[in-house]
Amino acid sequence: MSGAPTAERADHGVRRYVEQVMGMPISLALRGRHAGTRTGRDAWRAVLAQLREVDRIFSTYREDSVIRRLDLGQLTLEQCPAVVAEVLQLGRAAEEQSGGAFSIRLPAADESRRLDPSGVVKGWATQRASEFLAALDATDFSLSAGGDVLCHTADQDRPAWRIGIEDPHDPNALIAVVPVRDGAVATSGTAHRGQHLLDARTGRPSVGVASVTVIAESLTWADIDATAAFAQGRDAARWLQDRPIRSALVVWADGTTSRVVPRSRMVWTDPSSALPPRAGRAG
Amino acid sequence: MQLTVSGGKITKVDVLQYPNGNGRDAEINSYALPILVRDTVSAQSANIDMVSGATVTSDGYLQSLQSALDQAGI
Repeated sequence: MSGAPTAERADHGVRRYVEQVMGMPISLALRGRHAGTRTGRDAWRAVLAQLREVDRIFSTYREDSVIRRLDLGQLTLEQCPAVVAEVLQLGRAAEEQSGGAFSIRLPAADESRRLDPSGVVKGWATQRASEFLAALDATDFSLSAGGDVLCHTADQDRPAWRIGIEDPHDPNALIAVVPVRDGAVATSGTAHRGQHLLDARTGRPSVGVASVTVIAESLTWADIDATAAFAQGRDAARWLQDRPIRSALVVWADGTTSRVVPRSRMVWTDPSSALPPRAGRAG
Repeated sequence: MQLTVSGGKITKVDVLQYPNGNGRDAEINSYALPILVRDTVSAQSANIDMVSGATVTSDGYLQSLQSALDQAGI
């Protein structure tokens, strides 16, 4: 673990921490009993330690990472830590459910396919590491890994965390806000890194969509679904309608938006029951 | 739309719509829909706790809204 001190700030009972891990900022807001206690800080350190360990295994930027050595044939799957098989299985499930638009085997320049599970790892690792925070009694947390956010409140009387959704056409502005007590908000887009999201079926950048935000129970699947929807370009909102999510926001390349509620959460209502009783009718 | 047909006649028309955002639903947090912010607002005026956006790298972090939240403790 790094010996560098963690930035720590307090406001209105919310204690904030931020560290750079896996090449991105990990931000934490804690409120309640363990905001600012030693137990709270220990949980934060455990989160960071686990994320660093995940980075050592899965980084595609390190030639000596487990995942690179597996891809190069220097290791067999049996020789890898058990989490590698877990992540690869998640990647296969994501590929199946997105009809191949999402893949952990990305087309490389030489027409080979390079093993790159980073589209699965971030959400999965953050969800997993959050268990240290969920174990803090009477404490709420909101944990962000480079813009993918996981929230928890210890009980229903506490206010929801308010999550701002960045405007992909102006990353210094918000386009929406969503309140979340327990759940995840993940956004895929190209605002900060240029065109880096490809449709795995064609190897070409997806078109027509500027960002996809998914609100779901787990960050693992919110992240996968946001990425898989983005990869499908103009079909993003349609595909999300049949996903087991709470809701989604698609911002299109032309600046228009679609808010998505999945079909499974829509309700059938009888419009006549909402009308006032007719005059003269009994009862 | 969902039609109920009885004896060859349409007897009921139901409409598929968003669930009501009543207090109880809001409480169980199941249907939380993003609320569009019409005018561009700053993180400060929107009173938010965290920002969800396209992956922020460590290099881009200092210019990000999340960084403003982390540093200023908004």
